[in-house]
Amino acid sequence: MSGEKSRRGFLEAALSGSALLAMVAVFYPIYKYITPPKLAEAKLSQLKLSFSRADIESEPKKAKYFKYGRSMGIIFLTETNELMALSATCTHLDCTVQHRPDLGIIWCSCHNGRYGMDGSNISGPPPRPLEPYQVKEVGETIFVSKGDS
Amino acid sequence: MYKKSFIYLMICMFSAVLVTAAEDNCMTCHADFEDDDGPSHMISKDVHIQKGLGCVDCHGGDASLDDMDDVRNSKGYKGVPSYREVPKFCASCHSDAAYMHEHNPAMPTDQFEKYKTSFHGKQLLKKGDTNVANCISCHSVHQINTAKLPHSSTHPLNITKTCGKCHSDSNLMGKYGLEATPVADYKESVHGQALFERGDLSAPTCNDCHGNHGAAPPGVTSLIAVCGTCHAVESELFNSSPHKEAYEENDFPMCMTCHSNHKILKPEDKWVGTEEPALCIECHSVDDGTKGIETAAGISVALKSLVKAHAEAQVVLDEAIEKGMATTDAEFSMKELQQSLIQTRTKLHSFNLDSVLPLAEQGMKQAAKVKETSAGLIEEFYFRRKGLGVTSLIFTILVIGLYLVIRKVEKK
Repeated sequence: MSGEKSRRGFLEAALSGSALLAMVAVFYPIYKYITPPKLAEAKLSQLKLSFSRADIESEPKKAKYFKYGRSMGIIFLTETNELMALSATCTHLDCTVQHRPDLGIIWCSCHNGRYGMDGSNISGPPPRPLEPYQVKEVGETIFVSKGDS
Repeated sequence: MYKKSFIYLMICMFSAVLVTAAEDNCMTCHADFEDDDGPSHMISKDVHIQKGLGCVDCHGGDASLDDMDDVRNSKGYKGVPSYREVPKFCASCHSDAAYMHEHNPAMPTDQFEKYKTSFHGKQLLKKGDTNVANCISCHSVHQINTAKLPHSSTHPLNITKTCGKCHSDSNLMGKYGLEATPVADYKESVHGQALFERGDLSAPTCNDCHGNHGAAPPGVTSLIAVCGTCHAVESELFNSSPHKEAYEENDFPMCMTCHSNHKILKPEDKWVGTEEPALCIECHSVDDGTKGIETAAGISVALKSLVKAHAEAQVVLDEAIEKGMATTDAEFSMKELQQSLIQTRTKLHSFNLDSVLPLAEQGMKQAAKVKETSAGLIEEFYFRRKGLGVTSLIFTILVIGLYLVIRKVEKK
């Protein structure tokens, strides 16, 4: 009789434990799903930059790079103090381009590819223009986005 | 009223057709006796015809005459120029800025002047050497076209064939003490492969380095300017390096000393160092009184370490990608690492270890970051897999437990 009781007790305890763990197994993924992931997702509609216009101004080349999903972008100040952003990956062989305020161009040092401030091709091997980002300033915060989104 | 106007219009149109037909007598006769590759059959693809010019605009004479002898005796007839006369013949229009402006305002008019400075031009015009190229050798005679058209003899993809007609002819080149290998060598080069295998029309071909109308080999000192047209940073670094003075003193051809000229292969990291096949040891030795060997050894170690770290990082990242993890950050860091590797390889043209080391160290840090991030993702993958296993086990126990409880209840 007592053996039967202890067996039942064990069985019930095991059952309750399993049920509890099953609940954890169900709720843990839900918890993981609703908490933001450590890694930013690749697809973005808009990105808030972690620096301000003043930070860009203080750079020697008046430009800073930012991460946009898997891509790299470059944001820079033009001669007319306008903020512009372009894809920073050269369309020739994927080198990272740089802002050359001394020449008034966006420049790829790998093969001397030259782009206009709007990303259009000026000279050199790049076959296509650099993709532009839209820039929006709200107070001191800068947002960049692709297309109209 | 309308009927009269119509008849008048028709008469005008027929007259125009008859006049045009009368002016086209060159084609009418030449098409009869020329083979398919004759001027009359090829000319439709020629830019001059497409721009509205006719035979007489180059060859002179009166095209309205029926008899060929009459044409030859007609006013202004130039006929076919001799090989030596061709440049001047073409230049009669192409060096006339006002005339060219009417047809193609953006076109330069200095081709003949440049040609005179070229080896080809000097040989032909001064020495009467008809083995060298003149206008028609490169542009063809009656299929002359802009280099933008794929069938043009001056299209980037056709330039090696055009130049190779002479420059791959060992008998002809032998007369001038030249090798007939440039075209074959170029096709093996990184530039040739970019052009022919990747179809990158921006890759330099013969005329990009030698010029076209003023074609000549770049001089020893101008070589860096020629390569620097695209490789601007490398040439700038080289010009500031201790090598510049040493090369000038020894008449070494700048870039060509390490990279060759036509057969410019993709550079390899083992070219830098103190052991075969490093190029540095062709000039430098331990007791040469320079820092050459020390610098080469330092750069080689830094570069090899970075390349190894890059390869290792790529392996770990690839595994994380293959396991389906969100590798956005790691891939971005990998791009930064690749950039650092490119910059380190470029910077070695300063031949200054202190300039190269910071970039290599920056790359090493990025490689460590890629490895760490990717390894974390792989760990996360296995954690999830183990979690799935544990969860499955728990569910199995739960199901078995339920089965036992139900059986016990049924027994009661």
